[in-house]
Amino acid sequence: MTTDERPDDALLSAWLDGEVEGSECARIEAWLQAHPDDAARVRLWAADRDALRARFSATLDEPVPERLAQAVWRRGRVAAGGPWLQAVAAVLLLGVGVAIGAWWRGGAARDAQQASGSPAWTQRAAVAHAVYSPEERHPVEVSVREGDAASQREQEQHLSRWLTRRLSVPVKLFDLRSEGFELVGGRLLPDANGPSAQLMYQDAMGQRVTVYLRKADREASAAFRYDRRGDLGMFYWVEGLCGYALVGPQPRERLLALAEAIAKQDQPPSR
Amino acid sequence: MQADDVFRQQLLGVIPRLRRYARSLVFDSPAADDLVQTTLERALAHWHQFDQRRDLLVWVLSIAHNAHLDQRRRDARLSVVDPERASADQDAQGGDPGVDVGLRIDLVQALARLSPEQREPLLLVSVEQLTYAECAEVLRIPVGTVMSRVSRARASLRQFLDGSERSAGAAGPRGLRRVI
Repeated sequence: MTTDERPDDALLSAWLDGEVEGSECARIEAWLQAHPDDAARVRLWAADRDALRARFSATLDEPVPERLAQAVWRRGRVAAGGPWLQAVAAVLLLGVGVAIGAWWRGGAARDAQQASGSPAWTQRAAVAHAVYSPEERHPVEVSVREGDAASQREQEQHLSRWLTRRLSVPVKLFDLRSEGFELVGGRLLPDANGPSAQLMYQDAMGQRVTVYLRKADREASAAFRYDRRGDLGMFYWVEGLCGYALVGPQPRERLLALAEAIAKQDQPPSR
Repeated sequence: MQADDVFRQQLLGVIPRLRRYARSLVFDSPAADDLVQTTLERALAHWHQFDQRRDLLVWVLSIAHNAHLDQRRRDARLSVVDPERASADQDAQGGDPGVDVGLRIDLVQALARLSPEQREPLLLVSVEQLTYAECAEVLRIPVGTVMSRVSRARASLRQFLDGSERSAGAAGPRGLRRVI
């Protein structure tokens, strides 16, 4: 295939699924950059994919129904060692339920807190964190961790330009390496009145934090506020035209240090 | 037998993802759990055929796919899901505070209108995040077929969603029913 030949939809769709590699992948990316109509179509597919994922993933939080757990333990099973393993199973089930359900179970409490003053968009930031941070294969839409240093820098520039264009506010990729966090990449998300963005960072232990960015409803400045919902903590603030929410399971002081590092980098350079 | 119990524990671990897939396939949640139960029973009956080096989820999903296929053949009712009913069932299940309600109904209706041949690979790749090779293994079709079906499913889904947005003002959501 020559470089200026149009990739068909099957190929574009495979590219979106991470199934295209090497020079072919680079060719498609170049094509999409040069052809906004095709890029827009692929973005819609990606949005549908994310919506499907979000729609059905609530099932993962539900406790496993007793009859299904029974189906696993009952069939053709000898009695010996039974009770002990049943206990293990119960603990395992509990573990899965607690781990996955922990954040969502905070739902009712969250609505109550809503009334107490956390803006609605911070809830979207927390949900986006809960949905994407456990992802192993596709934690981000645009990765900045592929290839050598030069191509990573290129990916970073692309990500920053793309998000800036879509959000209509300057999106800077914060450098949190001094705090031990590397940028994984970012994605575009729907907010109430337009696009928002999520940047994902990961430390050496694989722990993740996300930064949610949105264009503020009006130009304002709001101080740091802290909110904790179940296992997740969050600092959020507004600076100029941009609202920020830093979300992660880390303790409050750790999140504060990261939030301060972000706010500091966001200051316009003094001349 | 020791291996048997290890296997049962592994099987317990994949139930949440198996339920998600069944729910996205069947829409009606009691029917989805029936499918999960059938799948678990078949997996246990054939557990000695499972190669421990393979991914248990992929193996179990392929059993679920076959069980679903059998069910569709046996019971034509399951292959024609009324989209309005499906969305009502989905709403009754609640949850999912992150997605706009209007979008959600359209999405589930649109998904229900895809043929099973398109819906399955789309869900396996998009929601379950399988690779095309894994998806091909689950559905027992060539990788190239996965690629073209996923792409066609995306195009159809988009067409349904765009169409329903356009008709929302004029015909209302009931306009959808006519076509089914």
